[in-house]
Amino acid sequence: MSGVKLESIVKAYGALQVVHGIDLEVEEKEFVVLVGPSGCGKSTTLRMVAGLEEISGGELTIDGRVMNRVAPKDRDVAMVFQNYALYPHLDVANNIAFGLKIRKNSKEEIAASVDEVAGILGLTDYLERKPSDLSGGQRQRVAMGRAIVRRPKVFLFDEPLSNLDAKLRTQMRAEIKRLHKRLGVTSIYVTHDQVEAMTLADRIVVMNDGRIEQIGTPMELFLNPVNAFVAGFLGAPPMNMIEATIGEGDTSPVANFAGGQLALSKLSELQNSVGRKVTVGIRPEYAQIVTEATLGSVACDLDLVETLGSEALLHTTVGDEPFVIRTETLDKMDTLESVTGFTAQPDLIKVFDAKTGLALSGQTREA
Amino acid sequence: MNGADGHKADTPKVAYTQRSRMNRIVDHLKRDWQLYVLLLPTIIWLVVFLYKPMYGLQIAFKDYSIFKGVANSPWIGFEHFETLFSSEGFMRALRNTIAISFWSLVIGFPVPIILALMFNEILNRRYKSTAQTIVYLPHFISSVIIAGIVITAFSPSAGIVNTALSWFGIDPIYFLTRPDWFRPIFIGTTIWQEAGFQSIVYLAAIAGVSPTLYESAVVDGASRWQMMWKITIPCILPTLIIMLIIRIGNMLEVSFEMIILLYQPSTYETADVVNTFIYRQGLQNGQYDFAAAAGLFNAVVAFVLVIGANSIAKRYSRTSLW
Ligand SMILES: Nc1ncnc2c1ncn2[C@@H]1O[C@H](COP(=O)(O)OP(=O)(O)OP(=O)(O)O)[C@@H](O)[C@H]1O
Ligand SMILES: [Mg+2]
Repeated sequence: MSGVKLESIVKAYGALQVVHGIDLEVEEKEFVVLVGPSGCGKSTTLRMVAGLEEISGGELTIDGRVMNRVAPKDRDVAMVFQNYALYPHLDVANNIAFGLKIRKNSKEEIAASVDEVAGILGLTDYLERKPSDLSGGQRQRVAMGRAIVRRPKVFLFDEPLSNLDAKLRTQMRAEIKRLHKRLGVTSIYVTHDQVEAMTLADRIVVMNDGRIEQIGTPMELFLNPVNAFVAGFLGAPPMNMIEATIGEGDTSPVANFAGGQLALSKLSELQNSVGRKVTVGIRPEYAQIVTEATLGSVACDLDLVETLGSEALLHTTVGDEPFVIRTETLDKMDTLESVTGFTAQPDLIKVFDAKTGLALSGQTREA
Repeated sequence: MNGADGHKADTPKVAYTQRSRMNRIVDHLKRDWQLYVLLLPTIIWLVVFLYKPMYGLQIAFKDYSIFKGVANSPWIGFEHFETLFSSEGFMRALRNTIAISFWSLVIGFPVPIILALMFNEILNRRYKSTAQTIVYLPHFISSVIIAGIVITAFSPSAGIVNTALSWFGIDPIYFLTRPDWFRPIFIGTTIWQEAGFQSIVYLAAIAGVSPTLYESAVVDGASRWQMMWKITIPCILPTLIIMLIIRIGNMLEVSFEMIILLYQPSTYETADVVNTFIYRQGLQNGQYDFAAAAGLFNAVVAFVLVIGANSIAKRYSRTSLW
């Protein structure tokens, strides 16, 4: 059972508290991604798990053992850093072997492990090169090799892909995923890239300002964000947020906009909130375009069509708020220009309190 | 296939690049003339104080007389050098120079590195800066005062060293008049004077090592001792090599004023070096041509040392001065 458990973990630098009590339980073999805007405390949290930062409060357990005061080397974790942290004077083989040599493993054992890891990561041909003679992706692989060769209980990644170009990042992302499937080691991965988070994670932890906003599987967070922050953070382009008032429709509550009305789910919470000012969230891909104004749709003015190939982004405005619609292009290109409004399925419309940002719509959809 | 053809094809290209290189230099001068103007004082200084005096070097091969001047004195070939190498005084100075330089290098080179590594391990900031200031201090004090302190400290009557020895019942030792003590005292003094200041270069190099290397090593389980040996030292190795080349190049330039200040006729046997020998022959005895020959010899050896050290460094590591 090599899970990691954080209980009300706090980090303070002097009087300045930057992490305000994090509760998180990472199951054995789980891949958990911490995601959030810059400066929200992701790295700090990860470094506390690694033992590179002192824990100011709360309790950290790895594998059932309290680790608050345990030295990093005795925590049996391995960390991959954003800038790879490769030793410039050592060749690839010795970089990978560094941790094992420090631990005074036998020569044969080290050589065998290095060979195995180099095989897994496709580095066999580069073992004698210095890091300066490697490409960014290869360096990244060496950094990973150095972590996996020690067979630790937990992997920690701090934005390992952010120094790579977009194409390589996609490639390495898939490789990390494959590697995790193969090795099955508990992993905590920090990123500010929501695509990385969505694709890699078993569960995502969305952080903001030193606190956890929501924990859940990628689809749970995507479909049922607990608040406007999480809703806006995941998904690209981000969820559209427009002001509305809840009204009473014929069969269900409705959201009244400047340019129309949309039916909402028949949830008691919404039914009881008639007259309340809310923010309505609709994902670009869940809005359907209409070319004729009907009752259950909202009027919008088309500004710009961005064609991406199989899909297009329609940049429109509702009242004076921007609203993006993502739609298929096949056989539809001529209709795109004549868009006059949109509609959306009630259970895909999220409703947030205008002041607190908390979701009123609850779980409208099974993930 | 490549041979003859390639050569023919290359010829016009070479001419072309040469012409364009001239053009490039002119372009550079036009575009960045302000920078070249900034460089000018240094060039003038070099020419006036280092290149122009080289004209006088010819007296090493002449029977120089002040009255005839440098140009009109008659050539005598290598006569001065022959005298030099058959002179017991010069050979002794040469042996002493080599011995003192060698031991200064062997003992003196690692000291600032060790100091820098030790400073780097001090965690308390205030303690660290205080310690640094204390070891930097002697560098800013005139050699005359340093020598004065050393002479006082080792004086047989009131010196702190002999006082301390007397507590153990040891009779006063006349350190500064004893040839066997001169080199340890001299080398110790120059290390005391310069090691702290020299450590700044290494501290700067250490500061340039990425902190994540250490963090990564901490997670891998390295101790501070292991990190020093496996990360810090290898990472500052290029700086170390450059400094070593410079040191080797300057090896024969033993801190001449410190020798003058500390030696006395009774210690010439181990203390007289080429530079002090030149000084005595040239300025005190007026044998300018003879002294110039000795100086030229010293310079040629130093030149060979720099070139040699640099090419060795180039061959065995990726760092070199040029
Ligand atoms: N040594 C320190 N002293 C004071 N504040 C610090 C220190 N280190 C980090 N912080 C603060 O802690 C907060 C969290 O930093 P952290 O590095 O964890 O952010 P992050 O979520 O990893 O951001 P990024 O995505 O930019 O890497 C930041 O506001 C930062 O300014
Ligand atoms: Mg960070």
